[in-house]
Amino acid sequence: MSTTPHRPPGDQARITVSVAVPPDVAFDIFTNDIDRWWKRGPAYRHAGRREGIIRLEAGVGGRIFESIDWDGAERVFEVGRVQVWEPPSRLVFTWRNSTFTANQSTEVEVVFVPGAKGTLVTVTHRGWSTLPADHPARHGMPAAAFIRSVGLWWGELLTSLRRQAESRGSLAP
Amino acid sequence: MRSAGPDLDTAFAALADPTRRAVIRELVREPLRAGELAARVNMTPPALSRHLRVLREAGLIVEDGVVHDARVSLYKVDLQALAPVRHWLDEVEDRWREQLASFKEYAERVHASRRKGSGINESGAAAPTRKTSNPKVSSRRRGRPNRRSTS
Repeated sequence: MSTTPHRPPGDQARITVSVAVPPDVAFDIFTNDIDRWWKRGPAYRHAGRREGIIRLEAGVGGRIFESIDWDGAERVFEVGRVQVWEPPSRLVFTWRNSTFTANQSTEVEVVFVPGAKGTLVTVTHRGWSTLPADHPARHGMPAAAFIRSVGLWWGELLTSLRRQAESRGSLAP
Repeated sequence: MRSAGPDLDTAFAALADPTRRAVIRELVREPLRAGELAARVNMTPPALSRHLRVLREAGLIVEDGVVHDARVSLYKVDLQALAPVRHWLDEVEDRWREQLASFKEYAERVHASRRKGSGINESGAAAPTRKTSNPKVSSRRRGRPNRRSTS
């Protein structure tokens, strides 16, 4: 297809934030303190309203998991594993929602770039187009089936569309 | 005429053709007249007009200008029709945006208090001018993220 070995960029979500701390501090807090900053509640954690913690274990192969106090018993839900561990600049881990089957996974890359006022942290969450069209992670939207069926080509188009929409600032006709 | 909303089955059927996908790909870059478009996808304008009709009827592209004269009409991708598809990835981004806002707030607060408490620049990085005050913690959104309204 093209010369780039990566997937087309369209099946990914990407968000950047500027943080007023050096990259090594940002990397350390992002990983070691994940339980402190990862938002709580049913919208963000498998634990829902139960007591639980999130851990991200250092190093390649480290687990990202939630440990939940489930009526007195501990339940562990593994979100993914660290694939790339390059402090203080880069971190890649797999990401599975609770609805994924064993062989379904997406990928999250976190890049820490030194900036004038600290660190630019960019999260890229990709691989959604590899999930089956009727996957619950896609909220059963027919649009998802649409993406899947048209294949990876669609991803590239989707990115262009989003950029266009952003530059126009509005979708209003 | 614009349809009320995108029928995704129809849209998919319309895109199940390499020529029509090539058309959309070109039109995403820039609006084009039928003649220019035909040249880009290596077709004659008469051969292309059938494809353009399918895409138009699926609500994927719109025609600006003199409606009855295909030679001067400008074809564009209808962003509105594809909003539901885009919306889904936007939701994933909304989720991460919230997490990163929370991360930023926490990291900056902890970093500031560590430096204040120890008087040592833990990072080892040169920091000739130090901020001494902790920026006010912005109000944190709770509960489910707001869904972006596209309609």
